[in-house]
Amino acid sequence: MKDPILALLAKAPAHGYEVRQRLVDALGPPGQALNPGQVYVALGRLERAGLVLVQQVGQQRHPDKKVYELTAAGSERVAEWLADVSWAKVMPTEFHLKLVTAAVTGLADPVALVDAQRHELLRQLREVQALADPADGPGGLLLEGAALRLAADVRWLELCEQYWLERGGQPDRAGRASRPDRNDER
Amino acid sequence: MGSVRLAAHLAWRNIRRRPAQAALILLTLTMATGMFSVGIALYGSADGPWDRVWKATDGFHVSASYYRQGDLARTGTDLTEVRHKFAELAAAPGVRAVGGPWLQLVQGRLDVAHGGYEDLTAEVRGPGRSLVDQPLVTEGSWLAPASEGIVLEQGLAGALHAHPGDRVRIDGQRFTVRGVAMTVSQGRFPLTVPAKVWVTPATANLMRRAGLTAGGIEMQLRLDDPDDAAAFAAAHGDIESSTPTVFLETWRERRAASHSDIDILAGTLLAAGIVVGLLAVATAAVIVAGRMAAQTRQIGTLKAVGVTPWQIVLALLTEHLALAGLATVIGLGAGRLIAPRLAGTSLTVLGDPETPALSGGQVAVVAGVAVVVVVLSTVRPALRGMRHTTLRALATQARPPRRPARLAQLAASAHLPLAGVLGLRSAWRRPSRLLTNAAGLALAVAMIVVAAGLRSSLSRLAAQPTGPGEALSGAAIGTLYQQVRVIVLATAALLLVLGAVNAFIVASFAARDGARAHAMLRAVGATARQTVVSLVVSQSGACLLAVAVGIPLGLGLWQLIDGGDLPPVAVPGSALALVAVAVPLVFAAAVSLPAWRLAHRPVATALAYE
Amino acid sequence: MSTPTAVAARGLVKTYAADGVPVRAVDGIDLVVEVGETVSVMGPSGCGKSTLLHLLGGLERPDAGEIVLDGRRVDGLSETAWAVLRRRTLGFVFQAFNLVDELTAVENVELPALLVGAPSRRARRRAFELMERLGVADRAGHLPGRLSGGERQRVAVARALINGPRLILADEPTGNLDSRATAEILRLFADLGRSGQSLLVVSHDARVASTADRLLTMRDGAIVGHTRLDAGSPGALLAEMAGLPDLGGPGPRGGEH
Repeated sequence: MKDPILALLAKAPAHGYEVRQRLVDALGPPGQALNPGQVYVALGRLERAGLVLVQQVGQQRHPDKKVYELTAAGSERVAEWLADVSWAKVMPTEFHLKLVTAAVTGLADPVALVDAQRHELLRQLREVQALADPADGPGGLLLEGAALRLAADVRWLELCEQYWLERGGQPDRAGRASRPDRNDER
Repeated sequence: MGSVRLAAHLAWRNIRRRPAQAALILLTLTMATGMFSVGIALYGSADGPWDRVWKATDGFHVSASYYRQGDLARTGTDLTEVRHKFAELAAAPGVRAVGGPWLQLVQGRLDVAHGGYEDLTAEVRGPGRSLVDQPLVTEGSWLAPASEGIVLEQGLAGALHAHPGDRVRIDGQRFTVRGVAMTVSQGRFPLTVPAKVWVTPATANLMRRAGLTAGGIEMQLRLDDPDDAAAFAAAHGDIESSTPTVFLETWRERRAASHSDIDILAGTLLAAGIVVGLLAVATAAVIVAGRMAAQTRQIGTLKAVGVTPWQIVLALLTEHLALAGLATVIGLGAGRLIAPRLAGTSLTVLGDPETPALSGGQVAVVAGVAVVVVVLSTVRPALRGMRHTTLRALATQARPPRRPARLAQLAASAHLPLAGVLGLRSAWRRPSRLLTNAAGLALAVAMIVVAAGLRSSLSRLAAQPTGPGEALSGAAIGTLYQQVRVIVLATAALLLVLGAVNAFIVASFAARDGARAHAMLRAVGATARQTVVSLVVSQSGACLLAVAVGIPLGLGLWQLIDGGDLPPVAVPGSALALVAVAVPLVFAAAVSLPAWRLAHRPVATALAYE
Repeated sequence: MSTPTAVAARGLVKTYAADGVPVRAVDGIDLVVEVGETVSVMGPSGCGKSTLLHLLGGLERPDAGEIVLDGRRVDGLSETAWAVLRRRTLGFVFQAFNLVDELTAVENVELPALLVGAPSRRARRRAFELMERLGVADRAGHLPGRLSGGERQRVAVARALINGPRLILADEPTGNLDSRATAEILRLFADLGRSGQSLLVVSHDARVASTADRLLTMRDGAIVGHTRLDAGSPGALLAEMAGLPDLGGPGPRGGEH
């Protein structure tokens, strides 16, 4: 969250509440969850890190009325951030290891773990899609991205399930041994 | 792969995957090439023998003949005039050799085995060998001054089953057959009457006493140059217009007229070949259009991979041209095999028929027929099929949507069943498909009309009662007519069958075409019967159009085929009425059958089609 | 008959011969869709979910088992009886749209109404109402070939709705659609669900399946999973999504949170 806040100050200095407002607009419905306090906390930290300057306008000490401005270091940081192409985590390593250790140690059934995780992801997916309705601006785009990634993750979970079923030789719920998948859809 | 290799590869795979379609195209193509090939081979098969006899007998270049009723001897003046004209002719420049003039004794009556008699003419020949038209003896020997034996014309001898040594009765008198000979100076008995024999002057006197009268004179001329014959006849044409009238004939005219039965046969075959060729085009076009529709996905994939539409058309053409090549070979082979057999049944060929050697021209014509059929039937439907995407968009403008469609309203007010309305709408929206089907069907209808004409023309070949003097020839011609009847009926039946096959193909493809749409209709709640009705209604438009166009087309074709000197035969109105009623009914049934079968498959399978 | 069901199936079996080996596409399935409920069936390709849907809609006949549709036993019905039943009671939405190419959009929509015998004017009017509600009224006079994928699917949904069916059966309804059209259709289904329409949706796409009230998972012809997707607290979800916990370091980078 800190880098976006810095970037929002790049064009011109702004009041605290302006920064918050712009964030909310950009995020769409998720923006509603943004606690105003958190923005000011972040701004405070940025100031301490020397990336942002506070201008006191008038004598008020209320955070809402403070004007924030980028320092040179801050501008540099923004430029770096914009050019940075690293992405959110791509490999679901932790969960993968969870399944492996469960299988190895016998502490849990990997298939059941997958089931539970999938249920949770589907639940989240349902909520995200329920939100999607009114958003037409960039916020809607954000939700769309969430939905796509959740769907992709569910797909991966299905592959996991298939894998661990075959490995484990576990009978599935109906009591039949698992079989390799058929290719043709009927 | 290079274009050609790719085309050949695709072509071979397609033939292997759809053998029935390939076989059908091959069949119709082969029939067309076969008919053409036999027709062409037949045309020439009488000329060889005729030429052989012509050379062997020192045949004429120009012949002159004079005939009148009554006894020449009694009207002396005419005879002098006639002899004078003949002498002039014989002395004209360009004449190298003269045969005759020979007296013709007419009104002979030759007794025939089972009673009755045959008209006969006896030509009086002097001793020695004639310089022009010395008949070619095939059995026995020529006339001898000492003997009263007569020589029979070879066709007559065959009809009588007479051989040298047999005796025949002419006007009550018996004469011995001394020999049998061939000539080109007149056509062969029995297609040329009266029958001809050659006699010595002594025998002639016997015959005159028995009742024959001198009724004509014939003279045969040979010129310096055979090709001058026409000019010569033209130059002396005044003989033909003044009295007494002397008729001139050139050797070319005689030759052309000497094989009328083969000409009719060959003409029928060629005409039928053209009609069958058109049918082959229609059949192949329908098959190609159906193929394009069914293979849209494959074509889409090929196009996506970078294959150009022309390459795909090339593949299709290669496939069909290969079939055409095969059809040409088979057709030419059939021509070589069948033509001699047919020619052998001819009554006019002098001796054994000679099928002319296979010329480059013949091959070119037959191959040309096959290639033209393939190109006409393949290129355009293939190109059009190429341009359509999976979901065809035909309407160029949105119709005003608020009011229910006119047609539907009309139909609803006429209380047509919904299925019928759907069928009408379907047909209305795809005019190109409607027209293609109608065109194919129209040809089938035209063919049935021609078949009806052929059948009616059999009345021309009805056995006529043999009049007096035709006891022998009448029977022989009757036999000939029988054979021709069989051939004509067979051709008619063939056309009928081909027409039916074509109609059935159109119907099958129409049913298959609509299969997916109908599965969808059933998913929405239409019953199987409703989908069949809808298909029949949508196709019946094409059918009615086909009948409306096909009947006049067939009549026109029949006019073309039924040419010649024979009296024209009209296709009876009753046959046309039958066609107009029966074809739509049969077609509706033909469409319903595959549609009904398709309609009873589970909807899910039909929806999942490839 | 406690709660009314839109469709109830018991012990459904359907066997195919694939290369001579008999394969059970649907292997003894029990299923219920309550009135007003959206049920989705998820599973990998080839698990038999499409076959299950076809069986419930009478597009195929089960080898064994019984189906009760709108209170009526239907598994033994003839083809014609099924056709009549389908008109009133069911609406289908397929992956490949399956509109009649030769009829315009509005003609496609009014078709089931005409089949049940509604007068053409009324059918046309109702078709228009539905198309307006679904946002495709301006494309009414076009042939399907000129509509986009999303439009075609909306026309198909309108057609499915026109006779007020008890149950809508959808087979991979977003399979051929792009992201935006998928979102449109999902919104549409959600609206339908809220308005009380019973829906059975078959899909391998998690986005589609997750819109349902109840989710069934199929594998190898049998139902192996059965869940309700209840909402948690949206606040936590949104906060997590907005990446707010990450206020420490310089910003999200590759690696673990």
